[in-house]
Amino acid sequence: MIMNFEEVKKLVPQRYPFLFIDKVVELEEGKRVVCLKNVSGNEPFFAGHFPEYAIMPGALTLEALAQAAIILFKKSFKQDNNPGAVFLLAGVKASFVKPVFPGDQLFLEIDVEKVVSNAAMVRGIARVGEDTVAKASFTFATADKTSLG
Amino acid sequence: MNVEDIEKEVTSIVAEVTELDRDEIWKKRDANFFKELEIDSLLALEILALIEKKFKIQIPEEKLVDITSLTATIDMTKSVLAESGRLQEA
Repeated sequence: MIMNFEEVKKLVPQRYPFLFIDKVVELEEGKRVVCLKNVSGNEPFFAGHFPEYAIMPGALTLEALAQAAIILFKKSFKQDNNPGAVFLLAGVKASFVKPVFPGDQLFLEIDVEKVVSNAAMVRGIARVGEDTVAKASFTFATADKTSLG
Repeated sequence: MNVEDIEKEVTSIVAEVTELDRDEIWKKRDANFFKELEIDSLLALEILALIEKKFKIQIPEEKLVDITSLTATIDMTKSVLAESGRLQEA
């Protein structure tokens, strides 16, 4: 393990019920990160999605991938100590291959396509075991929250 | 890599990112991306990343400001390829 949950919380600003990374299992600064989310039957979103058939919303799988990208970006560009930095998702292309159920271990892999000083393009794969459950590419920008009005 | 191939590939990339028709974007090749084609700086970054991937080149961040029109983007690509000795003059 590269980073535990407490260390993840220092980098990812999201909190319960919207923090979707449990730990970081692989990190190559500037290039790649692999994170893990253990999907429990007690996740709050399962109460509504769906009451009789628990299935993780694809949008939240994308959010989990985006949070993995935040970790990679912050670790790679030494923004660990910039609490004012916010990440603005600008573009997403995604496809969903298989559903995610309670009990699944969701591995979130992010590889960098291009990084400039205030923006990045990454591609992500979410998998359960060897099975790909979702694929996505993200473009996001960073900004100081004071500049957002 | 010759000039015609570069023009063709870069036009396809810009068409893909802007979701505009290839012929339409070619007709508007001198139009300003930001003022006339509603392309923002993040789409410009996407164009840059796809050019890098297509031509297997590294484009430095400072070239991002050169992505202002299709013509300018083609010229920037040509200059980076020329610097790496991969541009065949017609």
